[in-house]
Amino acid sequence: MTTTVAPPGTASTTPARAPRRARRWGDHLFVVPAVVFVAATVLYPLIFNIDLSFRDVGVAQIVTGGAEWVGWENYTDQLSRDDFWHALVISLLYTGLAVAAAFALGMALAVYFNQRFPGRNVMRSLLLLAWILPTVVSANVWRWMLDGSYGLINTLLEAVGVVDGDVFWLARPVPALFAVVIATAWSFTPFIMILLLAGLQGIPDTLYEAATIDGAGAWRRFTSVTMPLLKPVNLTALLLCFISTFKTFDTVFLMTRGGPGEATMILPIYAYNEAFEFFRFDTGAVATTLMLIVPLGLSVFYFRSLRREETA
Amino acid sequence: MGTRGGRSGAAWTARAAGVLAAAALLTACGSGGSDDETSGDGDGGTTTLSLWHYYGTPDTPTGAALQNLLDRYEDEHEGVTIEPRHIPFGDFTRTLLQSAAGGDLPDIALINGFTTQALADAGVIQDLSDRVEEWGEADHYFETGWETTQVDGATYAVPHVADAYAVYYNETMLTEAGLQPPTTWADMQEYATQLSDGQRYGLAFSGIEGDEGATALVIRLLAAGGDPADIDSEAGAVALGQFTDMIAGGAVSNGVLTWNEEDVKNQFANGQAAMMINSATYLSILAEENPELQWNVALLPTDVQAATFLSQENLAISTTTEKADAAWDVIAWMQRPEVLAEYLPERNKLAARDDVDTGDDPVRAIFAEQLQQAWAPEGDLAAASSEVLTRIQGALQAAAGGGASVADALADAQGQIDEALANVE
Repeated sequence: MTTTVAPPGTASTTPARAPRRARRWGDHLFVVPAVVFVAATVLYPLIFNIDLSFRDVGVAQIVTGGAEWVGWENYTDQLSRDDFWHALVISLLYTGLAVAAAFALGMALAVYFNQRFPGRNVMRSLLLLAWILPTVVSANVWRWMLDGSYGLINTLLEAVGVVDGDVFWLARPVPALFAVVIATAWSFTPFIMILLLAGLQGIPDTLYEAATIDGAGAWRRFTSVTMPLLKPVNLTALLLCFISTFKTFDTVFLMTRGGPGEATMILPIYAYNEAFEFFRFDTGAVATTLMLIVPLGLSVFYFRSLRREETA
Repeated sequence: MGTRGGRSGAAWTARAAGVLAAAALLTACGSGGSDDETSGDGDGGTTTLSLWHYYGTPDTPTGAALQNLLDRYEDEHEGVTIEPRHIPFGDFTRTLLQSAAGGDLPDIALINGFTTQALADAGVIQDLSDRVEEWGEADHYFETGWETTQVDGATYAVPHVADAYAVYYNETMLTEAGLQPPTTWADMQEYATQLSDGQRYGLAFSGIEGDEGATALVIRLLAAGGDPADIDSEAGAVALGQFTDMIAGGAVSNGVLTWNEEDVKNQFANGQAAMMINSATYLSILAEENPELQWNVALLPTDVQAATFLSQENLAISTTTEKADAAWDVIAWMQRPEVLAEYLPERNKLAARDDVDTGDDPVRAIFAEQLQQAWAPEGDLAAASSEVLTRIQGALQAAAGGGASVADALADAQGQIDEALANVE
């Protein structure tokens, strides 16, 4: 994309430097639409949001303007609030648990689907459904399944005698947190599986053959061949999954709205409530800006390790 | 492709995944809010007015009632076209504020009564004091409802419809148990306990996360003589204590903490609850969807005093409209007693004024009587109502589902309420 294709021989015989430079500048023009698009849809809102976080913006200022610049006041205020730290802890807990569960399941499925057997592709495609299903559908299905009076899960547990009577899973703090973790892990598992599967298929069969000859069993082959060679892919999958889960809003909002109480009050919902329920646009902006730090840090780490991987 | 060896395969995967993630990020950012703005041409002596509301699309019962009302106006007023736009309730105020920031407001907005003050403060809706004075009909309105239109002594809206919460009860179940609808909250707890049997519960109400789930507890608190701004009080302890007891004792399902008002209606309609606290919204839906269900409506039980929660929508004119006169004409017409008399029964709502004859339906009469005892937040409490009500629901959640003691739940909520009220400028 960045190099122009010239007929063999002509490139080296062009003596003038100016046209070549002009052509190179012309090449840069092709990225202008993409740059403009990103600037308009990502950079502008981002900068606007950061600007908002340094001003005193309530319901009166958002429309009429005239929001006063208050410097770091909103930040110090926000960082001294228990609600904020609680939301951060819940966010990290939710993300950590969901990523761990999705990764473990995704890895198991990837190893399984890496073998050849009839119907493999059909089953793999079916699994992807969880990933491509719109969240509004999957989250509501989970909510119904977990309902105490007509939910499938309660009926099943009642049938085998684990619970007695109606248990409203989403009305209890700890079960509600586990429920949103499971729903999130369920939807991310196929994504992880696809990434890991691509990585697994890049490992030459000869290594496994050699390991087998050396007397390594299935578990030893997994820990000594698969895992070390899969390390870069693992890192990618974990980071991407962590970043996407950390900023998840829809699944949790649809299932619990951050409740019961504040049991599933993750940062995105906290920020949403601040800005759009309580109309404190400034603290909402502070929360979203602070929320950006975690994925941003991980992204930098990700691209660094990617570069190291490429140069190695 | 996969035969090239682990390293490059991994790098390729990583890059592909990066592109995927970037694409996902972009779609997430880009899917904010789409405006299906309708555009009308105002040539040829016609006026086109835009009206935003949250009553539903014309294929829903509530949306159809509004559409019929607007059609009637158009029939009677040649040259005027009203273009309604439905925005879901949860997004409504946010959309109005965002549109105002973008300078893109409708001419008329049908808003939640409790948000009137916030929208006036934000400069979204205009001062109608002069028009209302000239109109001269303010005296016909019930005081509590009219109060929601007042901001700093000026009138920013006109009530559209009112509603109140009362008790729906399953006649079959109460008759079988030999009970009459409870008249006091002590009776309510006793009867609800008697009427529940593990499969079915005595009473249902919405206690869902957010301000919607605070209604029933606020009603109980008011009945105990309490004030929603001062929940950590004796009345607060009585109210929350009783609700917690009823849930713990099985008279009320733990599921109320996850039910919205529609879910509560469904529980009642399916015979899962013998009584429910709900608004008049579901009167004809219940009658149509469950014709075999034998039910009736009674006034809410009382304690120290009789009280219910007001639910009201107000009509307002935006600050940016160039057709304020035409918009006012629509609003004034909608409030004519003979227009309301036809509209309100279809919409399952009550008149916010005292000169509307909507027939002698006994159930509607109960709701109309209940409306006289309606409470609505005023002043600072009105400005912070969404947050205060959310905190009150939080207290219910903490005590009934989260294992906190009633005293701790109330103290926590009070701290948050004080902070919310202090934030009101």
